[in-house]
Amino acid sequence: MKRPCWALLALSSFLICPLTSATRPRYGGTLTVDLTSTWIVFSEIEALTPLIVETLVRINERGDPEPNLAVAWQHDADRKRWRFSLKPKVTFHDGEPLNATAAAPALLAALKKRYGDVRVTAGGQTVVIQSERAMPDLLSELARPATAVFRQTEKLPLVGTGPFRVTNWEPGRRLTLSAFDDYWNGHAFLDSVIVNLGSSRTSADVFDIPFSPARRILPERTRVWSSAARELIALQTAGIDPQLARALALSIDRGPMVNVLTQRKGEAAFGLLPQWLSGYAFLFTATPDVAHARQMLSQLRLSPLTLSYPPNDSFARSVADRVALNARDAGMNLQPTPSLNGNIRLVRWKLESRDAANELTRFFAMLGLPERPDSLYDAERAVLEEGRLIPLLYLPAVYGIGPRVHGWDAAQKHDPFVLHLENVWVEP
Amino acid sequence: MFGWNHDATVPRMSFRTKIFLSITATVVFAVWIVAGVVSTTVTKSFERREAQRTANLVSQFRREFDRRGGDVVRRIEAIANSDAVLRIGVNLGTPQADTAQFNSEAQTLAREQSLDFLELVGPDGGIISSAEWPARFGYKEDWLTQPVDWKTQGIFLRREELADGAVLGLITVRTVKAGDGQLYIAGGQRLDKEFLDSLPATEGLRLQLYSNFDPQPSTAAATLIQELRSQPRELTRSTSDATITAIPLFGRDHELLAILLIENSRAQLASLKAYIQGTALIVGFAGILLGLALSFWTASRVTRPLRQLASSVREVSSGKWETRASVASTDEVGQLAQDFNRMTEQLVEQRDRMIQAERVAAWRELARRLAHELKNPLFPLQLTIENLQRARQVSPEQFDEVFRESTSTLLAELDHLKTIVGRFSDFAKMPAPQVEPVNLNQIVDDVVKLFEAQINAPGRPRVETILHLAEHLALVSADPDQIRRALRNLVLNALDAMPHGGVLTIRTQNLDGKVTLEVSDSGEGLTPEECERLFTPYYTTKQHGTGLGLAIVQSVVSDHKGTISVQSEPGKGTTFRIELKA
Repeated sequence: MKRPCWALLALSSFLICPLTSATRPRYGGTLTVDLTSTWIVFSEIEALTPLIVETLVRINERGDPEPNLAVAWQHDADRKRWRFSLKPKVTFHDGEPLNATAAAPALLAALKKRYGDVRVTAGGQTVVIQSERAMPDLLSELARPATAVFRQTEKLPLVGTGPFRVTNWEPGRRLTLSAFDDYWNGHAFLDSVIVNLGSSRTSADVFDIPFSPARRILPERTRVWSSAARELIALQTAGIDPQLARALALSIDRGPMVNVLTQRKGEAAFGLLPQWLSGYAFLFTATPDVAHARQMLSQLRLSPLTLSYPPNDSFARSVADRVALNARDAGMNLQPTPSLNGNIRLVRWKLESRDAANELTRFFAMLGLPERPDSLYDAERAVLEEGRLIPLLYLPAVYGIGPRVHGWDAAQKHDPFVLHLENVWVEP
Repeated sequence: MFGWNHDATVPRMSFRTKIFLSITATVVFAVWIVAGVVSTTVTKSFERREAQRTANLVSQFRREFDRRGGDVVRRIEAIANSDAVLRIGVNLGTPQADTAQFNSEAQTLAREQSLDFLELVGPDGGIISSAEWPARFGYKEDWLTQPVDWKTQGIFLRREELADGAVLGLITVRTVKAGDGQLYIAGGQRLDKEFLDSLPATEGLRLQLYSNFDPQPSTAAATLIQELRSQPRELTRSTSDATITAIPLFGRDHELLAILLIENSRAQLASLKAYIQGTALIVGFAGILLGLALSFWTASRVTRPLRQLASSVREVSSGKWETRASVASTDEVGQLAQDFNRMTEQLVEQRDRMIQAERVAAWRELARRLAHELKNPLFPLQLTIENLQRARQVSPEQFDEVFRESTSTLLAELDHLKTIVGRFSDFAKMPAPQVEPVNLNQIVDDVVKLFEAQINAPGRPRVETILHLAEHLALVSADPDQIRRALRNLVLNALDAMPHGGVLTIRTQNLDGKVTLEVSDSGEGLTPEECERLFTPYYTTKQHGTGLGLAIVQSVVSDHKGTISVQSEPGKGTTFRIELKA
């Protein structure tokens, strides 16, 4: 090999070495996370609770339940009685072993909210959940963070089995987590995670970026990551003439809202559930038709209507203003107003689980509708055709990811509800 | 005090009233003229001042408009040269141009430059960012992409659409290169009440800015605005409250965008006019009072002696011949009083002379009558006595027979003499009437019955008696004996007037609170001269009358405060008419 070739090889090795060192996971370090929310009740920090507590079951990328703390389960034909076998050799953060007796109280409290007369019986590593009525969606329910297995002690608000344990909790200000050395699935890369609440410093390793009309300048090399859609912005039009609601729906152009207001992070919404959750949302697409809307409105007696949006929500206000502008083009007078009870209400609906049926049921409850025996698609289409709701946008959770943070995308596992930090690592 | 003296139907104004009206009219007219002149002068002066103030304000408005405009231009140019805009321009010039990220840029820049409006518009006319209406991103502003050299354009007025309606803006536009196209920066400030408030305040002057796209105002200026819309030029109209000047404000394409209304309050003028009118009223009223005082004073100086003179005249006319007017001055009125006194003295002297003459004449007439009346019976007496003397001398044997005849003749003539003397005596001693309620119809009946025998006497020419007596004749206060005597004389007089027969008509009736009694004959009638002398004592048209009958009638009527009149024409009979108070 000639000398220049050796020189090139030496140079390339010099360049590649830092690169390879940066891509190799590294243990240790502290990750700072700034969140704009100011939670006071610990259990509300849903995005972080899976770091501390775990559920019996989890939903995989395909939407199917798979074992987590429970290694196996059976149910009777009526799905009224379920039997779960707990993973052995799992301990809580305080050293107590995970068994059915320890898991039962948290499960019972969470499931009672959902099923009412449910009973949880414990025996060794076996938990039996039974009810007088069928629980076909029990696995989805058990996959929700709210149905996690945890204990509470006098010293700590939350004692779980997750990869991180709570070392400090200042309600509304700060949460400090440390890696749980005895975690059954192996030690996390990070030593600790400091979560600052009510703060959104761009100097943090991870910070959430709420949707806002104001443009946010990000530091160099900071990238933006957004989850799958986990929130729906829609117009609740139950109080107005269905014909008027249909005309309003035709007048709204969602494209500019997606492009400008969400900076292309959101999606145009035409159905209740996003595509990733329902799989059929694309069937509801529609295009704006202002001329047709104007023609429909010409047959109605119009009077000024109020479009209420949540107070102190600047993004909702921007959306409401845009809707009012589109409606004005069609000849409708909508007056955006920051309140909760306008003729038309702009609502922000947060998804809570990856179970489409479960979410649709919540939607129906929010709209005051009975559960429908139809298929999900038929039920959703029927609701939309009734003109009670005009979907506008699906919004994801958006975070700024600092340059120190690695392994972020792979760690999130397409779960829009939880920040998975157990496989994230940081540069020193 | 003042008023009209009514004499019959002709109103007469007193001298004092005339003076009062003259002075009052003079003062009031003078005050009216002065007040009118002052008011007109003040109004013209006020209008000149109004026009001057309006012109000043318009000038200030234009200066402020230019100053603000220049300020807006500088700010827009500062934005056009800012890094943020240049970055947008660069971004637009790239193939991966993404304008979405600049959506909130206009709000930030407008806030920094204190602008009310700012739009960043892309080469295609689509709004990239709007400060005044953030939701309008993506909408087209085609007017910006027209072929205009915006760098040479200054400030102009423009209607700006906002979510809650349209407003008026002072706008300018600048461009920045964005690839092959232009990035348009259009912005400015509101032209609104705040702008007007920045102008120096002038008392009584109010500025209003009416946007042409606003609903029609329901103010006094509505008509003016309507007029100006159809014919856009400066207009001025005045009402009782204000003078309003309307100045049209045009947009870039000379479209009428707004109207500047300058309202000059006329409250001050109205107050001044009211003051002038009030003063004029006070002066006028004072003039009336002055006229009143002057008329009193003048009356006391001029009309008092005249009134005294008039009073003296009235007294003299009422028979107080000794009345004299006081002579208090040597002027015309004093001279008049002296002349009046002299005239009165002469009248008294003449009256005395006339009384004396009439008295002498009356005595002469009385003597003539007495001589005439007494001569007739005395002559037979003389003849009878001479016959007796002659019978004694010539035929004593027949003296007794002659004596009897002669003494009876003498007695008859002496009775006649006695009667004559009795009549004169009756006339001389007419008693005062003893009044009591009297029904004249009753007296008429009595008198007619008294004369029935005489009227119907055999051989006498036929006299038809006709009575027209009112059914409900009012009673009169009268002496029935005297009234009966008067009526007897009238009936007797009527019968004497109809020696060849005729018609005697007696009529009573009620008339305006009085009772009338008419006695008519169908005799020969009387001449006007006879009528005039008819009631004169001892005047008679008859061969054997004493001339006292009608004099007695007149005396009776006069004593009863009544009146008697006669109507007669030769050949048509005579009517005597007595009126007595009921």
